[in-house]
Amino acid sequence: MIHAVLIFNTSGVPRLTKFYTPLQQSSQTLVQKIYSLVSSRQASLCNFLDAPELESFLGQTDDNGEKLRVVYRNYATLYFVFVVDSAESELGILDLIQVFVESLDRAFENVCELDLVYHFDEAHHILSEVIQGGLVLETNVEEIDRAVQEAAKARKESFASANPLSLGGGGVGSRGGTLQTPLHWITDRLTGVRAR
Amino acid sequence: MATSMRGLTQFIADIRGARVRELEEKRINKEMANIRKRFKDGNLDGYQKKKYVAKVIFTYILGYKVDIGHMEAVNLISSMKYSEKQIGYLAVTLLMHENSDFLRLVVNSIRKDLNENNEIYNCLALHAIANVGGQEMAEALAEDVHRLLISPTSENFVRKKAALTLLRLYRKHPEVIPAAEWASRIVSLMDDIDLGVVICVTSLVMALAQDHLEAYAVCYQKAVDRLNRLVIEHEYTATYAYYKVPSPWLQVKLLRLLQYYPPTEDPTLRNILFEVLQAIMNNCAEPTRNVQHNNAQHAVLFEAIGLAIHLDPNSPLVSTATVLLARFISSRETNVRYLGLDTMAYLAARADHLEAVKRHQGTIILSLRDKDISVRRRALDLLYSMCDVDNSDVIVGELLRYLKVADYGLREEMVLKIAILTEKYAGTYKWYVDTILELISAAGDHVGDEVWYRVVQIVTNTEDLQAYAARVVFEYLKSPSSHESLVKVGGYILGEYGHLIANDSGYSPIEQFQVLHSKSQFCMAPTRALLLSTYIKWVNVFPEIKEQLVNVFERYRHVLDVDLQQRACEFYALATRPAEDEVLQNVCEEIPPFPARESALQTRLSRKLTDAGDRRTWVHGGSVTLDRQATRRTTKPALGDIHGNGSAATSGIDGSNGANDITQSLMGLDLSSSPTALQAKTSFSELQSAPAQFLAEKGIPRLTTNHNVERWFEKLTYSSEGVLYEDVQIQVGIKSRFHGHIGQVAVYIGNKISAPLTSFTALLHTEEPDALSVSFAKIAPSIIAPRMQTQQLVNVECKKVFTKAPILSLSFLAGAHQSIAVRLPIVVTKFLEHVKLGQAEFFERWKLIGGPPRESQAIFPITLADSGFINTERQRQVVSGSCLNILDGIDPNPSNIVAAGILHMAEDGNVGCLMRLEPNKDAKLCRITVRSTSENVAAELQRLIQKPLSTDAVS
Repeated sequence: MIHAVLIFNTSGVPRLTKFYTPLQQSSQTLVQKIYSLVSSRQASLCNFLDAPELESFLGQTDDNGEKLRVVYRNYATLYFVFVVDSAESELGILDLIQVFVESLDRAFENVCELDLVYHFDEAHHILSEVIQGGLVLETNVEEIDRAVQEAAKARKESFASANPLSLGGGGVGSRGGTLQTPLHWITDRLTGVRAR
Repeated sequence: MATSMRGLTQFIADIRGARVRELEEKRINKEMANIRKRFKDGNLDGYQKKKYVAKVIFTYILGYKVDIGHMEAVNLISSMKYSEKQIGYLAVTLLMHENSDFLRLVVNSIRKDLNENNEIYNCLALHAIANVGGQEMAEALAEDVHRLLISPTSENFVRKKAALTLLRLYRKHPEVIPAAEWASRIVSLMDDIDLGVVICVTSLVMALAQDHLEAYAVCYQKAVDRLNRLVIEHEYTATYAYYKVPSPWLQVKLLRLLQYYPPTEDPTLRNILFEVLQAIMNNCAEPTRNVQHNNAQHAVLFEAIGLAIHLDPNSPLVSTATVLLARFISSRETNVRYLGLDTMAYLAARADHLEAVKRHQGTIILSLRDKDISVRRRALDLLYSMCDVDNSDVIVGELLRYLKVADYGLREEMVLKIAILTEKYAGTYKWYVDTILELISAAGDHVGDEVWYRVVQIVTNTEDLQAYAARVVFEYLKSPSSHESLVKVGGYILGEYGHLIANDSGYSPIEQFQVLHSKSQFCMAPTRALLLSTYIKWVNVFPEIKEQLVNVFERYRHVLDVDLQQRACEFYALATRPAEDEVLQNVCEEIPPFPARESALQTRLSRKLTDAGDRRTWVHGGSVTLDRQATRRTTKPALGDIHGNGSAATSGIDGSNGANDITQSLMGLDLSSSPTALQAKTSFSELQSAPAQFLAEKGIPRLTTNHNVERWFEKLTYSSEGVLYEDVQIQVGIKSRFHGHIGQVAVYIGNKISAPLTSFTALLHTEEPDALSVSFAKIAPSIIAPRMQTQQLVNVECKKVFTKAPILSLSFLAGAHQSIAVRLPIVVTKFLEHVKLGQAEFFERWKLIGGPPRESQAIFPITLADSGFINTERQRQVVSGSCLNILDGIDPNPSNIVAAGILHMAEDGNVGCLMRLEPNKDAKLCRITVRSTSENVAAELQRLIQKPLSTDAVS
């Protein structure tokens, strides 16, 4: 299963953390640990990493400790890191990261790091449409997008009734003009410079 | 939208604006204090609660510890507004874990949302259970989740979530889920049209099937069928193609699911599977430029290769795969190299001969020097798996050389592996000692105690080795710096066997002592203690250096360490006893050989490797470690066990029963009903009364029983076509053709209702797989259209005498999930062929075979025809329907029937059978005598022919 989904930027600041197994230690140390493992690897190395060091963090204290692997992908300023056990196919997870990114991109229209900061709840909702309880729920971007839209609609409706002052609020993907700092990393992905 | 809450946006902006960590912390503390106060004051409306909880969540995401907001989150969950509910659920899933006390408070709200008629509420609830579901939730809500999963009214996206939620609950608390009972219902969902549902259900099935292999056996067929549809027939919706590869996740899952089962015996499934695997491999022959496409294709390919190896490590498919793998391990792409090595290690662990892998030994050894540690690890695993007697010299040598430059994290594992390989594939003891000592001196700190214990064990148990080992270890000790582990080995070996080399020049006692003692000062207390023991042994064998040794003891009597001090005192006392005393000699007797025991090294290594959760289907160096859980399971469920409870009855049918009847004289005509029929009935009903769960666990369908089913079956035992089963929904008809020991049965399945039967599954079970093989010519279609009929061919081969007809089980969804299991009319008489015999020949053979045990005789009551006469016509029909040739004019009594036939069996050859039927009109009884060259055949034939003729016959 997938034990953790982490997104942090190139300076190691976590942008999204989700653990599917209870943590033994503080999540910050874990993120730092993974960050130091991942960021020291050159671009030409593979996207997989054996991580026996992480086992103490993820509650596998019994002696049949799982062999955890870190599968990561770097998109411009962000690292997408999945910690998985041997039951998952490494390349499959790599594909899944791509699906997750594409889903984020759909929902936010050219997603950038700031989207994940300001819309952390939305990012979590999207993640919950891709992975549930550490297991792959859906891999079809259309389907994920549809579910996300559906939830957004329901939220919008209930929100409108909750706050009479609001004039509909923002739909998915609307950002305040002042916050617009697109990083164009998604285009980077499409040209395939870094992404593998 | 979170940003619609202005307070929250401001909060986030403030934190982003904080230039230093202290400011950020200050801002957060201030906010938390404020929120705490607000919560305490109470009287918050939904919007405010939502806003504050959102702030708490954000703080949590930043990595701060938060201890407030739990109660408010619980309140938000039961809110009627979706936006509030959503934040509430988000908080619950992020802030709480499965053992949280607060969860008790939300169980009821979650149940309410599960039962709500609103799908997105259902989804929120499911998602929460899947993330934080603990014992209590599992017990309270498993049923509701299962209902959502199987309900025909559930939306696809609800079913997907329900499947995974159930999986999570099962993983955490398997005892809550009646996995075996739900098996057929859950597996039937693998036929769903929506691929998203199929992916999730497959994940669920994969977890359940691992623990309940037999109960979920149907999924094998489903998985093969689905792969066939995806890969060969390209039957999938366009949206599920990921960069032109049809749902790689599903393919990977299915391929892996198949690896949990032993390779299938069914030729049809096997062929399809090989075709699929071949197609997958062909697809990868031409790499494209698109990275994502390649990734996806390789993901599938690697699983496919894994499955191919699992099915048959020696098949041509695997040779193809080896060629591909060879290309991969020298690929420029690091990911591909990594996976290539990983998969090759699997091949090496499973294959019978390693030539194909060995051809690439050079490349693999080079991979040890790869710039990426992940690749290096895989190369190490592969070298470990592919090592055998022939290449152990090279590989171990190479590993030793690499050990000196290897990453620190890798060394301990390497040492273990080298030690195991050295021991396992040692050509000569000399090589073993050399290598291990080199290992110990090279790896130093990374040598676990197990390694040197093992050396000592082996040296002690191998007499030829002792002098040599002593000499080599002495040489190692002479080098200026030796590692402590080496000192330990040296101390032990020289103490025990130093005297063997003491007469050679350069190895004199005093030199041995000096070398060893010079190391003592760099060692820890336990090592020094070991050295003291060595010295006392030397006092015994080297009287010439006794003085120096006693000196050492003398000095150690004053050290602070208790253990050392005690040893020194005791040894000193022992050493200074008068020379004629024998205590010392007795104490220092040579150590006896160790009892042979398994190497502790492997236990250690396998402990490091075992997995929880989804089991890996193999381990590195598979032949080394016994822990091959999935593959070790026996091929077929032990069906014999089921009949254990009815064994008395079954054996009665086979043999003793005939003997019983014979002891009854023909005149004992008061037998109201034949014991055979009675016993057959008990065995039948006992099988049926076995606990449902037990049957389900074994994957044995529960036979559908009613008067009609038995009648239909019985009729078909002596005719070649007719109805096997019928109810309001379906009709099953049979047409059969037999030739020699081979037969073909066409099963016609008709849908009688005006809706399609979906998720249709047909399965065959044989209780005696050694004697009778049955298999479908192709996989049954998963849908039967309204008022349509489908035909399934069953290939049958009789190998030996069998007594149990195979079971055909059908299941389908028509509104609800239905399943039917009936016996197919394939009985031993079907494999009889006519034989023509004259009167003389017949009697000659009749006499030749003689009485019991090769004769089986029974007397049974019969019903007369309406005319009051014996129903000869019917009797003849049954006998000739059972493929016996009725021989007229042999028996003088015209109402008697005499018949003969030859039974064809693939393994047991041909068996001749003779039969005589003697009805008695007045007594309304009939005597049947069957003589055959095989006693089993006689009894079985007698039973089969008698059944439709006796009054117990159901027709």
